[in-house]
Amino acid sequence: MVNEGSQNDGGRCSGNEAEGERNIVSSVRANADRRTFLKGTGAVGLAASAGCLGGSSSGDAPSGAFKVGVLTSHTGTENPIGNSIARSAELAAEELNANGGVLGNDVEVSVKTTNEQPQRGKTKYEELTVSENVDFTTGVFTSEVLLNLMDSIASQQKVHMTAGAATPEASTMLKDDYEKYKYWFRTGPVNAHFLGANMVDFAEANFSDMGWDSVYVLTEDYTWTEPVDEVLRNQLADAGVEVAGMKRYAGETSDFSTIYDQVEASGADAAFVAMAHSGSTAIVQYAKQQRPFAFGGIHVPMQLPSYWGLVNGACAFGVTQNTATPQSEITEKTVPYAEAYKGKVGKYPVYTGYIAYDAVMQYAAAAESADSRNPDDVVAELESSSFTGTAGTLRYYGKDEEYPHDIVYDESGENGVRPLWLQWKPNENGDGGSQTAIYPDSLASGSYDSPPWV
Amino acid sequence: MALPLTDVVANAVMMSALYALVAIGFTLIFGVGGVLNLAHGATVTIGAFSAYYVSEVFGYSIWIGALAALLVPALFSAALYRGVIRRVEDDPITVMILTLVTAIAIEEIIKTAFGTQPAVISSLWTGQVAIAGGIQANNLLVFGLSWVIIGLLFFAINYTKTGKAILATSMSTKGASLVGIESDRMYLYTWVLAGAFAGLAGLFLGSIQTASWSMGRSPLVLSFSIVVLGGIGSIRGSVIGAYIIGFLETFTMSYVDSSLSGLASLVVLVLILLAKPEGLFGREFTE
Amino acid sequence: MSDTLTSKLNPLSLPLRQQLGLIALVLLAFTPFWMGFLYAGDQGLLHIRTITIALFIGMFAMSWDSVSGYTGQISFGHALFFAIGGYGSALLNLGWGVPPLAAVVLGTVLAAVAGLLIGVPALRLEGPYLSLVTLVAPLILLQVFIWRSDIFGGELGIPNPDPLVATSGFAQETYVFFYVAFALFVLILAVLLAVTRSDAGSVLTAIREDEDAVAASGLNPAKFKTFAFVLSASVGGLAGAVFVHTPMASPTPSQLLAQTVSIEVIIAAVLGGMGTIVGAALGGMFLSIFRSQLSNVDFVVPGLGVSVGDLDLVIFAVGTLIILFALPGGVLRWGIVAGRKLVGSDGAAADGGRTPVEQTLEKFREFFRGGRDD
Repeated sequence: MVNEGSQNDGGRCSGNEAEGERNIVSSVRANADRRTFLKGTGAVGLAASAGCLGGSSSGDAPSGAFKVGVLTSHTGTENPIGNSIARSAELAAEELNANGGVLGNDVEVSVKTTNEQPQRGKTKYEELTVSENVDFTTGVFTSEVLLNLMDSIASQQKVHMTAGAATPEASTMLKDDYEKYKYWFRTGPVNAHFLGANMVDFAEANFSDMGWDSVYVLTEDYTWTEPVDEVLRNQLADAGVEVAGMKRYAGETSDFSTIYDQVEASGADAAFVAMAHSGSTAIVQYAKQQRPFAFGGIHVPMQLPSYWGLVNGACAFGVTQNTATPQSEITEKTVPYAEAYKGKVGKYPVYTGYIAYDAVMQYAAAAESADSRNPDDVVAELESSSFTGTAGTLRYYGKDEEYPHDIVYDESGENGVRPLWLQWKPNENGDGGSQTAIYPDSLASGSYDSPPWV
Repeated sequence: MALPLTDVVANAVMMSALYALVAIGFTLIFGVGGVLNLAHGATVTIGAFSAYYVSEVFGYSIWIGALAALLVPALFSAALYRGVIRRVEDDPITVMILTLVTAIAIEEIIKTAFGTQPAVISSLWTGQVAIAGGIQANNLLVFGLSWVIIGLLFFAINYTKTGKAILATSMSTKGASLVGIESDRMYLYTWVLAGAFAGLAGLFLGSIQTASWSMGRSPLVLSFSIVVLGGIGSIRGSVIGAYIIGFLETFTMSYVDSSLSGLASLVVLVLILLAKPEGLFGREFTE
Repeated sequence: MSDTLTSKLNPLSLPLRQQLGLIALVLLAFTPFWMGFLYAGDQGLLHIRTITIALFIGMFAMSWDSVSGYTGQISFGHALFFAIGGYGSALLNLGWGVPPLAAVVLGTVLAAVAGLLIGVPALRLEGPYLSLVTLVAPLILLQVFIWRSDIFGGELGIPNPDPLVATSGFAQETYVFFYVAFALFVLILAVLLAVTRSDAGSVLTAIREDEDAVAASGLNPAKFKTFAFVLSASVGGLAGAVFVHTPMASPTPSQLLAQTVSIEVIIAAVLGGMGTIVGAALGGMFLSIFRSQLSNVDFVVPGLGVSVGDLDLVIFAVGTLIILFALPGGVLRWGIVAGRKLVGSDGAAADGGRTPVEQTLEKFREFFRGGRDD
């Protein structure tokens, strides 16, 4: 069954209003026309006269080297989420250059770090687009940073292909004002609403076999998990799973004992989690405290194939959703990319790497197809593009659909992207552990094992 | 769903011992040296990461790591005192500014060198102990060790010659020097001791939770609250203050909302400052 | 009376250092033109934005100096007021649709109230304890923001409120908001200079010197100290409120509430010269521009594999330590003294020649060494 993203949940699919929690922020976004402003005629007059000093070019095609602007949270191998974005973009550029570049030009990559701060992200974005005049930008892991960039993207009118941030609020902005925000695309991951839907899919298909009849939902308190919470709250019960409790914990939480006490007290079989910015502390304490429940969900730190060594095996039997793994052949490009990345960096990438690589490759292909570097031409090309990337078939929703310019989520995996699920298992020789894909069946190389202490 | 009281109390009792360890170093420097060392939290972090590098990266046993957690922060404190503080120790505000800036520098260096992901430090003792619904052996060990160390300190301060010299210096440097005590050397001892304690606390904290570049911030704030509550310069006050704050923290987190971590102790601090700034066992500090 | 006022305002009769200041202000006013002249294309726009942010940091530093530089009550968490002004204004605008200008005014009022709440206990607490309260207050606020993240957005803040002025286009936006910032900067500078150079300012300085003497002369130091806090908080809150209504800032802890913000402001004022207002403004602007330029340096430190750009905070911290040792009176005072020596004038300092930093420290010395007789 091809799932084009329409959920049969009574039509309530705005994706960002958490039921029962009055969220000032989302109610503002819903009433975007409630904008009052002062018109400072005097200031504008002065500015207009000063404006003749520096004209800004919008929509002009850049020339010379083909520049890719990358915005990432942090770099350095000790920061795998951010580093994967930067190094993957560089890898893509190297491969493109080895094949003659793009439209006859060499590809260059310029990386700037946001430190996950919205204002710094915006300043760095402006440096990339205004000062360095890049062709397009990619990256951005933190949803709060992305949302702060949307107006800048609209103003600079250069394509941005998000690699990492999952908030559906971005695509909702396109629904309200397509012409203004049409330069934004999300190459991955599928947005948080679909991430949640995929979690429910996984639950429906597997929980009864896994022995997870009742779960406690534990999500980190950041923008991206709000739609996830909403989907889980509304749909897990229909999938036959009892929700024993739900908690949003502060990202900087350093002591999970009381939280785990509550999970244990609720009698849940597992903690069903959504953790991206945080998560290491949670799983390490879970392992040290030997809690009598299982642990799984979306756990980005655990996606790192070398994670076992980093946490002394605390991730054993942990389950996480992922975009791809170095061994799973989602497409013919997946494994070669992962190996090439390892060759370049020394470690395998996390999910953001696959997406950033795909973004650069797809944009280059679109520019070649359109035979133009003008952002408007490439936008048109991308909208109709169906590109084989490492994560699956990359297509984008159209302007009249629920989530314009968001990557298409396809449950069957045939004509869109679909996350896979893996579990960490100790190696048989007793030395370390490794990831085993457990779902979907076409990609699985093993099945779920219950932790021995549960 | 209410958590069983015994579990919560056990948790509180154990965490409070660790808080006391953290606060004692701070109160020593404040009581003896007369300055607020705002780099105390960073010292805790240095301790944790010293242990991490020795035991996880270089592969030695965690007990060797513990040694590193004692020595490296102690050396750092000594260097800080000798290099920076001694010159300006007459000016407490400058000390506050300098130590605060030092703390930021240390945090940034660790963040750059190590990254933003938390570091895992092995437990000193693995497994569970069947008391009060099951507690981690590591926590029990930390609890025990903390009390032993505090006890040793109390004994040392009150019954050994050097300890008494430190006590004397905290009361009157002139009087102390009249009997041949070099106040400068006593300050150095105090800073070294405080550094060692902070480092050990960092190791304990890191092995129970995880270590990260910003892990020293909440211990620093806790130290304020505890030391102000307990009274400046009073070790006994710090221990009692640690238990009060520890229980308050644990009960708030367990029964009210776990997101309120740290808020309870901060509010207590402000209330104490407004109502009774000299704390429970300290000296007069308002006009 | 009017004679002295006009003579005060007549540029030609001002002391040299004030004439230089006026010239600097005029030059600053024409920044967009310099930038357009010096840099091709849109590069200059980015620099104008950097300077716009620097103006706000200068305003923050001035607000700190107006209380801590003058009364000697050192505030270690001045970001509290910036955050209350900024968040307050943003929330009013986002949540209840209050127009930006009104929201800014209300945000400022909120910050003033906070200043009152901090200032009143100030009457009862001695130096370091007051500083401790100021250190802790923003931490409490941050915890509340994290606890009620549904309202306050937690560690990553809330989305941007409406801009103060509607603009279209990157260039126009840059120019307009530069002048908004500049106008506010001049206003705050003028107000603070007026207050501190007035009789009230003299009382504040006197309180720093010897509070008992002030009380003995029949004035109530408590009233003046509270006034200083409220003024400082209002100015800081105003700057914070306007800041979030520009495209240069969003209501996030990292820009308004973090400890680094409070420290940056202290460093700026101390480096520039505590107790001068102008020194604080200069210090704030310089630090902001310096850090921003540093964050763009790509040079990789050999052996560490880390680019200098990521180390900007470390360099800033270490550099500050060094300068604090070398120039305890701050750069501005050093500049004026050096300038005086250069020009050859021989002015005797009316306050006994000690800098505000020294006077404050003297007070604390007595406090801490209370029981000691050295």
